[in-house]
Amino acid sequence: MRSFSNINPKDLKEAAGILRQKGQTATLVGGGSDALGMVKERLITPDVLVSLKTIRGLDRVTEKGGEVVIGGLITLDALSRDPLIRKNYNVLAEAAGHVGTPQIRNAGTLAGNVCQRPWCWYYRNGFPCYKNGGNTCFSITGENEFHAIFGGGPSFIVHPSDTAVALVALDAKFRIVGAAGERTISAADFFKLPAENPARENVLANDEVLAEIHLPAAKNAARSTYHKEMDREAWTHAVVSVAVVMEMDGQVCKSARVVLGGVAPIPWRVPKVEAMLAGKRITAELAAQAGSAAVEGARPLAKNQYKVPLTQAVVKQTIVTLGA
Amino acid sequence: MTPLKTVGHGTHRVDALQRVTGAAKYTSDIHLPGMLYARVLRSPHPHARIRKIDVSKAMALPGVKAILTHANCDITWSSGDQLNQRRLFNNPVRFAGDPVAAIAAVDRHVAEDATYLIEVDYEVLPFLTDVEEALKPGAVVIHEGGNLSLNNQRQPAPQTYKRGNVADGLKAADHVFEDNFTSAHHNNAQLEMRVSIAAWSGDKLTVHAATQGIANCRTDIARDLKLNVDNVRVISEYMGGGFGNKNQCQDSDLMAAMLAKQAGAPVKLEFTRKEDFVAVHGRWSSRQSYKAGVKNDGTLTAIQMTALTGAGAYRKGSCDLSGTEIYQVPNLETSVSPVYTNTAVAANYRAPAYPQGVFGIESLMDDVAYALKMDPVEFRLKNMTRKFRDQTPYTSIGLEDCIRRGAEKFEWKKRWKPEAGSGTGPVKRGAGMAMGMFGSGLGRSSAVVRLDGQGQYHLYVGVTDIGTAAKTTMGLIAAEELGVPLEKVTVVWGDTDTCPYSVGESGSRTTVQTGMAVIEAVRDLKKQIADKGTPQGTDVLTAMATTNPPPLQGASRNSFAAHFAEVEVNIETGHVIVTRFVSAHDSGRVVNPLTAQSQVQGGAIQGIGMALHEELLYDKRSGQPLNAGYYGARIMTHLDAPLVDVVWVETDEPYGPFGAKTLGEPTIIPTVAAVANAVYNAIGRRVKSLPITRDKILGVLA
Repeated sequence: MRSFSNINPKDLKEAAGILRQKGQTATLVGGGSDALGMVKERLITPDVLVSLKTIRGLDRVTEKGGEVVIGGLITLDALSRDPLIRKNYNVLAEAAGHVGTPQIRNAGTLAGNVCQRPWCWYYRNGFPCYKNGGNTCFSITGENEFHAIFGGGPSFIVHPSDTAVALVALDAKFRIVGAAGERTISAADFFKLPAENPARENVLANDEVLAEIHLPAAKNAARSTYHKEMDREAWTHAVVSVAVVMEMDGQVCKSARVVLGGVAPIPWRVPKVEAMLAGKRITAELAAQAGSAAVEGARPLAKNQYKVPLTQAVVKQTIVTLGA
Repeated sequence: MTPLKTVGHGTHRVDALQRVTGAAKYTSDIHLPGMLYARVLRSPHPHARIRKIDVSKAMALPGVKAILTHANCDITWSSGDQLNQRRLFNNPVRFAGDPVAAIAAVDRHVAEDATYLIEVDYEVLPFLTDVEEALKPGAVVIHEGGNLSLNNQRQPAPQTYKRGNVADGLKAADHVFEDNFTSAHHNNAQLEMRVSIAAWSGDKLTVHAATQGIANCRTDIARDLKLNVDNVRVISEYMGGGFGNKNQCQDSDLMAAMLAKQAGAPVKLEFTRKEDFVAVHGRWSSRQSYKAGVKNDGTLTAIQMTALTGAGAYRKGSCDLSGTEIYQVPNLETSVSPVYTNTAVAANYRAPAYPQGVFGIESLMDDVAYALKMDPVEFRLKNMTRKFRDQTPYTSIGLEDCIRRGAEKFEWKKRWKPEAGSGTGPVKRGAGMAMGMFGSGLGRSSAVVRLDGQGQYHLYVGVTDIGTAAKTTMGLIAAEELGVPLEKVTVVWGDTDTCPYSVGESGSRTTVQTGMAVIEAVRDLKKQIADKGTPQGTDVLTAMATTNPPPLQGASRNSFAAHFAEVEVNIETGHVIVTRFVSAHDSGRVVNPLTAQSQVQGGAIQGIGMALHEELLYDKRSGQPLNAGYYGARIMTHLDAPLVDVVWVETDEPYGPFGAKTLGEPTIIPTVAAVANAVYNAIGRRVKSLPITRDKILGVLA
């Protein structure tokens, strides 16, 4: 690693201010589980690490006027065990509980997971791709087994975060603190396709910090789950994942949100599937139709065609399980 | 087999407490006063000639004490290439990761920074990542003489074996089967990375090395650095595994020594995980083609196998393929051609030539059994080897018992589906099995045993214990022969200054060879005690032995195994998990059932990873590896590992220490094929290339 200095700001505003300073590159560090590896590999060479660990109060789950507010610095492990989250927002607890390994979940934070850079092997091996400041995506004609089947172009990375998929499904809002002020936007608007800016995965400006996640009040009889298909039983990112949130009335699904992970450069919402489920009894037939609808418009690359039937199966099986 | 008092009883490792409390000092834990830290600059290109290399800026960086390149360090790393084609720093460089320079500095960060200050002018050359491309006319030549490597007789021809006449055998067959199988380069992935510490005192060099054999490491270092072997000391007290990738001396040992010499201070060189994957070596890949003839009753008449193996950029290992010898067949021809490409080097990894070869032959034989509507177990019992190469009797063979008792423990009749793929789904279960064997020759090794005046025995053996519990095994063998409890034997190991030659923990030879030396030394000591009485006070009695048995005439000494796997395959998602595994082993008498069981379980889990996950993947356009490291290689986690049941078939073996035969390597030999055959039984389609990943499963099902 290249040498760097470390700063412990006392609050987010100060952190954002440091990010804004000219003449130095700065990297935000939450748990550091990914940032440290990137620094060691010289994938990033910051002059300053801005450690958020010492900022107080951003590591808990609180209820505020019906909303649930989660501090961005909560560890993935704490989030996965939180009683309120487990009770009303199971999809998020499950997604957090499937990240990496126990070590990573004990160090890694929710905001860090949501803002995690891609795990495309071209990017992580330092190829001069869009994500590394270049102007090409090596996966298109290369080893694209794990790349996008939706929303790709010009970069074909898949978004690596499990919790991001769950948060879009829960219709969460993200509170962002910047040096100039703060803003709150929906989770769905937070993530951006590479067509807009292939170097980045979200709307955060260089001097902004993801501070808090707001979840809407839990609906009655809502059930939710996160299913993650992995190439080993732990410590991998999703090959394909799905977050499903359903508001139920007996055996009838009143409304649903279905979001895919591992298939696109952003958490990939499938509105057609959501519409198909709304107002219907969940049956095996309906779930199978939903699986087919979920992969409509998929554009696989040479080596990731298997993700199409895989996504179809995962959507079908998850809806059947949750609707049962 | 007569039960013994100490040998054959499950015993904890003599160093278990040190290991679990952190008191054990591994090489990486050692810090010498004034020690410098080294880093290696590696080629970013898969194939390039170095026109010019300028280290002046790096040398000027404060804290940098020594820099080696091909220009100032021309040393042949003899154990890096069997044909002596490999220097410590090569020009041209032949794979992305080939060392270009090594730097020693006051800390590892300064050393790393300095690697970025070395200016190298490369003439980039065309490169190859594919063995078939490498053999095409006009392909860029990686080594003089061409991309087809020499065979093990140093001839430009394939490695061949022949008995009978395959053409006649195929004519005599009722059915002829043909198929192709491929296996991938994958990494040993042992926990401890390559690490060496070198310190000079005048002409004397001490190397703390993470090695599988201190004696071989020492002679290799002495040879390559042109030192008197008496001036080299190698120490390795605690080892973090190697699986064949720390045999002999490593380039890191030589680099550390030369840096230490130039800097005039001790130097530690520890590789990163990525370097350990890319720049050390993994198991050679293979492309295998088979023809087999069989009678209607299931009798084999002929087997022909031709294969290309991927040596990578240098010829570090035999790059051979084994497996066909587990069958009795009158007509057999095999031909294996190691091929160079500009990729990571391939060499020994636990039973180097076997799991991939057994995957090929046992996949094909499985297909034969199904085609003839025979139970795969019955097919193997009918056709399994009875004599080595159908000619030489085995000193002992428990293969039939391995198959029968393994099948019984596994509940084969209940779990195996006569019609492959007949489960209802989407999660389908299937069962598969495969056999294996491995040489267990006798050979040279030494031991010293001393009795002091307080009645304590001290056993000196040059083992390092790569995870096999070799120290404990040696102690148990000595205690048994002495007729004393293990506590009365202090085992001394891991230092060439105090320990005699030991064969090195490769080829699964330590228990048999060094164990025999221990027995012979103890017998001598007992004779001395009988003659002179027990020593008193400060007196000691010392005995030493070098066992050097002549090769067995008219007999072959081998270990045998049969493995059984049950898998669940989700045919919609391609997800596979191994749900049950039984390993049945004939390794003669089991010296320590507790640690032997760990060996078998570890081998099976490694084999499952090879079957389902692991491949060092290259970007074909740039020649760069993409997934080096534990994350990318999808190494098995605890959650992936099934419980592995172990069945011991303890044959009455007349040779070796108390009849013990080889164990460490056979434990992975049939695993891969057993898993592959279980996947076939579950889904009714065969994946013919390793690893059997989700995309391939969904591909054959589509």
